[in-house]
Amino acid sequence: MRRISIGSLAAAVIMAAAGAHAFDDAKYPDLKGQWTRISPPGQPAFDPSKPRGRGQQAPLTPEYQAVFEANLADLAAGGEGLWPGYTCRPPGMPPLMTAYEPMEIIVTPDTTYIRIDHIHDTHRRIFTDGRNWPVEVEPAYAGYSIGRWAEPDQTGRYGVLEIETRHIKGPRAFDASGIPLHRDNNTVVKERLYLDTADPNILHDEITVIDNALTRPWTVTKNYRRSPDPRPVWPEYICAENNAHVHIGQESYFVSADGYLMPAKKGQAPPDLRYFNRREGGAAQSK
Amino acid sequence: MRERSSTGPVALATAALAAALTMAADARAFDETKYPALKGQWDRVGAPRWADPRTAPLTDEYRAIFEANLKDQAAGGQGTDPTYTCLSPGMPRIMNVYDPMEIVVTPDTTHILIQHIHDSRRIFTDGRDWTEEITPTFSGYSIGQWSDEDGDGRYDVLIIETRHIKGPRSFDSTGLPLHEDNETVVKERVYLDKADPNLLHDDITVIDHALTRPWTVNKTYRRAKTPRPVWSEAVCAEGNLHVVIGSENYFLSADGHLMPTRKNQPPPDLRYFNQARK
Repeated sequence: MRRISIGSLAAAVIMAAAGAHAFDDAKYPDLKGQWTRISPPGQPAFDPSKPRGRGQQAPLTPEYQAVFEANLADLAAGGEGLWPGYTCRPPGMPPLMTAYEPMEIIVTPDTTYIRIDHIHDTHRRIFTDGRNWPVEVEPAYAGYSIGRWAEPDQTGRYGVLEIETRHIKGPRAFDASGIPLHRDNNTVVKERLYLDTADPNILHDEITVIDNALTRPWTVTKNYRRSPDPRPVWPEYICAENNAHVHIGQESYFVSADGYLMPAKKGQAPPDLRYFNRREGGAAQSK
Repeated sequence: MRERSSTGPVALATAALAAALTMAADARAFDETKYPALKGQWDRVGAPRWADPRTAPLTDEYRAIFEANLKDQAAGGQGTDPTYTCLSPGMPRIMNVYDPMEIVVTPDTTHILIQHIHDSRRIFTDGRDWTEEITPTFSGYSIGQWSDEDGDGRYDVLIIETRHIKGPRSFDSTGLPLHEDNETVVKERVYLDKADPNLLHDDITVIDHALTRPWTVNKTYRRAKTPRPVWSEAVCAEGNLHVVIGSENYFLSADGHLMPTRKNQPPPDLRYFNQARK
């Protein structure tokens, strides 16, 4: 009788099991869990290693440095500057990766999903199925992202997700201080996403932004910490729910706590009410 | 009779096999062949209506609320449909699937991704139980369980229960109301059509105090044929012409001015403006 060795039998079982399991998730870094940005307290800056605003030392062209300075003056006067978030528009790429709310990364063979429930319920898709850039892509705030898993240390496991993002929609700014991206929206964002080699609960994203508002590619590194809770709470963020900003025409106003329209800037004119029949109705009561 | 040794060849072979299987399981934690193939882009079949409102088993109180809502909508108002302000439709209305849906199955969580107003869901399938403190959200808190109902060794139905849902919500844009106490419970059975694997069904039973009995409807979705579908981005705030000031809803005209949404609607009170400056 032919004897089958225990070793060959075990190997056969492993191969059969491998055939049955199409997704070898052991090849990928363990990115499961809830990731929260590591940044100084307060409103986060695009480069977490530097102070906000001018302290970011963004390599802006003279034209866009002037745009940035005008934005700072508007902010100082009570305006909203260039940050579009007050209208509940999403930050888009690259500030999306500031992770204003907790982030989840879901790795599948064809697509890596990044879920961040901030202004917009973002599910960024990074296609890793080997596709090339499609001929036609409709621009989106999150852009269109193609990724490739790299194995820099030849361990048989992927270590880095390299991403390129194009076709990004505007208006956008790098952060709430209003550092502008070019209005042509030809931004290209390149990222290297990887776990810290010393601490697998720290994630790094090296982000290089190529944009016509910049004199050179601008690279920053964002860092995230994994929650120790295996069943974290995922908060829901609905921007529209308590947004006191009202945008009418080119002007931004506030709605007061008692429900009346109020100016956002000193001396701001009220909205034009030409379409109302002033003779028939008085002013609307707020409550 | 000699006793069998636990260290004999058979036991060794068994132990080796068990070890091999364990290694294989460890190396490949996610056996996706056990789950139905839900990949792709799913579009709803039919209009985004919950059901014929005449069939809704509303209580008398909520039937009256629904009728008043219809009257308000006929006069140019929004009635009890809250989504015009870019609030999420919430559960169960999310499953009307206003924009294409993707279902991402992982061992612990099934993600339902719908890029509409704010419609994505997490369905936890890690065996958790209801915890005591859950902050209500529009999508609610969903616990799921995979079921192998035909006994073929593969899961075929995802059974979901959703609680802790926030309001205000309606079933659809007709304003068909859910109870303001937000104690809604939604039970779902999600499964592929047996005859056509490109059709997906969701049997949804809603238990709500606005209803006289649990109300079950079936939603059906069709899978797109393209393996690389286009996922459009929907940003509700972009191009939303509704402006809410206090309890009044206005429109923005094409030339950027505020305008009434109903006949003889008064303009907003401008008491906080220095009118002399205009």
